[in-house]
Amino acid sequence: MLTLTKQHRLGLAVSVLIVGAAILVWRPAVDVGYVEIKTVPAAPVTQTALYIDAAKLAPIKKGSAILRQPIGTLKLQADGAAGALAPLCEIVVKRNRITTVTISVLDRPPRCQCRNSGNDAHACVS
Amino acid sequence: MMTSLPAIVQGTRVRVPAVLLLALAFACSAGAARAEDAGSSAGANSPVEEFSQQLEAFQKSVPDLNKTIQDSAGTIDSATDVEKARAEINRLRETVSALLGAVSDNGPVSQLGAKALDHIRNKLKALAQDNRFKPEERQFLIDQWRKLETQTEGATKELDDARAQFAGLLHTLQDNEDFIGELLEIRQAEKALEVIRQLTHDIRDASAQLNKLIGGIKPPGA
Repeated sequence: MLTLTKQHRLGLAVSVLIVGAAILVWRPAVDVGYVEIKTVPAAPVTQTALYIDAAKLAPIKKGSAILRQPIGTLKLQADGAAGALAPLCEIVVKRNRITTVTISVLDRPPRCQCRNSGNDAHACVS
Repeated sequence: MMTSLPAIVQGTRVRVPAVLLLALAFACSAGAARAEDAGSSAGANSPVEEFSQQLEAFQKSVPDLNKTIQDSAGTIDSATDVEKARAEINRLRETVSALLGAVSDNGPVSQLGAKALDHIRNKLKALAQDNRFKPEERQFLIDQWRKLETQTEGATKELDDARAQFAGLLHTLQDNEDFIGELLEIRQAEKALEVIRQLTHDIRDASAQLNKLIGGIKPPGA
């Protein structure tokens, strides 16, 4: 049987409080959804710089990242030739849904694989 | 005719107990008659009172039953509402989404963890080059910061696990939306069945009460 020490219980209570407070404070003002980016092969830190629209993403750790995004159609891009951004695919973000895209970083330029594709084969949907 | 005094006295002695006996008999018969009257009037009131009580109980129960029927109809209406099942999935998805939002890679909790780790690592770098302390003091401080680093990494790892779990749950909710919708509808139908059973039970009770009431009506001479 699992027994919790006083320290464990305190830690658990503090964690619950932090997550609860974060949810309350960070309650979305606009409709949001999620983008799950997986990189293959998975590396401790992905070297390829990725962008959602024009915003550069933090390096993806351990081959996976889940990002909160406003709903709509976003453009996933990577660094291209001559400093220009190379579009990889589009990601359709729906309210309270998660859209997963796997990026093969060994390809040049990197290639998108959608978990689900919409009518447009170039767009990933939830 | 002249009667002698002793004879009169003797006659009186005989008559007095007789009068007393007569009075006692009269009193007894009157008491018995009163008792019979009282008894017969109590016997006449009892079924009336009983009927009245049963009628009152039944009349009281009828509005309750009507309300129960109306409430049940409302519950069954909502239990068979497909949109309600959809709304329930949406609520569930919203709850999971809020949790995922907090622990997502660009969410507040993850950023707090990353900031805490950055701070610890910067402190360790700075301590390695700090000459203000004796070697043993510096080693002690470095050990303390490393311990903190390990614990913070552990906490961050738990956050990663939570993130993966919430993401998995959200995937499950959206990948199996139709199936989950059906499960929710089954749950609602079970609730409707429960309501119908309860209603049947209530109607059966009312029927039993009514039967009792009807059985209590005995016309004179029946």
